[in-house]
Amino acid sequence: MGVFPNIESIKFEGLNFTHEGHDPILKNTDFDFPMNEIVWIKGIEGQGKSTLLQILAGLEMPQSGLLYFNDVNVLELTFEEFLPYRLAMGYTFDYGGLISNRTIFDNLILPLSYHKVLPDKEAKDRVNEIINIFDIKKFSDERPAHIPGRVRKLACLLRALVMRPQLLLMDDPSVGLGQDTLHTFVDYIHNLRKEGFIKHIFMSSYDEKYMNLFSYQIVHIDGGQLYLQRVDQEKRVVHL
Amino acid sequence: MTLWMRLDARVCSLGRTITKNIEYTSRVLLMVYLSIRAAILDQAQGLRTVFSVISAQIYFTGWQAVPLVSVMALATGSVLVLQSMANLSLLGGTQMIGNFLIVMIVREAGPLLVALVVVARSGTAVASEVGNMRANREIEALESMGINPLSFIVFPRVIGGVISVLCLAFIFNVVALLGGFAITRFLQDMPFSFYLESLARGFAKEDFFIFLAKNGFSGMIIFVVCCYQGLLVKKARMRCHR
Repeated sequence: MGVFPNIESIKFEGLNFTHEGHDPILKNTDFDFPMNEIVWIKGIEGQGKSTLLQILAGLEMPQSGLLYFNDVNVLELTFEEFLPYRLAMGYTFDYGGLISNRTIFDNLILPLSYHKVLPDKEAKDRVNEIINIFDIKKFSDERPAHIPGRVRKLACLLRALVMRPQLLLMDDPSVGLGQDTLHTFVDYIHNLRKEGFIKHIFMSSYDEKYMNLFSYQIVHIDGGQLYLQRVDQEKRVVHL
Repeated sequence: MTLWMRLDARVCSLGRTITKNIEYTSRVLLMVYLSIRAAILDQAQGLRTVFSVISAQIYFTGWQAVPLVSVMALATGSVLVLQSMANLSLLGGTQMIGNFLIVMIVREAGPLLVALVVVARSGTAVASEVGNMRANREIEALESMGINPLSFIVFPRVIGGVISVLCLAFIFNVVALLGGFAITRFLQDMPFSFYLESLARGFAKEDFFIFLAKNGFSGMIIFVVCCYQGLLVKKARMRCHR
């Protein structure tokens, strides 16, 4: 697999998106996303946080408008043309998303082996390393239906991380994880950022305690529009 | 409502039915085209990945259905061999038994019964498997990993399905023609060599092409339609848009 493009900017221009029979999620939205940041996407239920992340991940197609990745309108690209951008991204689901007829190990190694990002041995080593960090070795040969929900959710999060993406999109990542796992997960993300792998993180969450483990900027989604709220990390009040 | 208005409503409804069917067929054909295109263009998808799915499909659709198809073939073969022998000997055309059985079994009963077994056993399984994958967001997950679901899920299942149907139809024909004769051996006194010779005489090269076309086409329709129906599942009922 070739070198993935550097994602330096993401921009909406006049973007419209509506789920059939529902209120619009995005209404002629123009927005320039803050880059090299951890972005907390906030909004009340039903405003379209998950949909926004899915649009960014290329999983939902807006009805009209432009979506620029580095000045390239990716909405015009075919699946194959968009592939390099996809491989530079990791997307995690709020629930589900694991391939049910594969073991947890096979689920984790799937993107690496399918796209031949690493030689077989290195791919296995990387997956085993993650499995050991999160202490899920005893579940690695089980299928998703036979493991606890916490491990299922964790495996879904980790699958997005094995590719060491530049852009990480996470939909409600803290739900169902448990405190210990959550802290290990946050440490792991911080380490990957320190090592220079994950540059931009966009995540939606209702969990303020979890979000306070990061230095974030906030993007509000409300009434079909996006608003950036800059957060001064030194003046931020942390509720314990 | 006047007669004219009633007629108008009927014509409109007929038009809607026709356009709906045309739209459905074109969508299915588009999916076939996109699957083949994706399988060709997808350079990451190695032959190993495709073969593993194809072989799994052949195992579930083909291999596991062999006992059922064999029993059906024995039953169908015995009945047809007995019936044709009884009737043809009355008419003095015993030497035509080969032609008759080739037409009845290879051209007609084989493709139909095999297709019925495959639809009932595997078609429904494929549709519900793909539908579950859709509801479970596995299709979205594949897309998010840069794996095209059409080349990863649809293409190998259709190819595996077609190969399975062809193999099952071959087994059906052999078991029906030879097993049917063996089972009815104690009810008739036709020499086996005469029976084989008659079959060989009755088998023309068109039969081979008809066998390939009928079974290949029915296998393709079954698996393409089932994959399409599975992919039609939008989202799980409990899921709200967020």
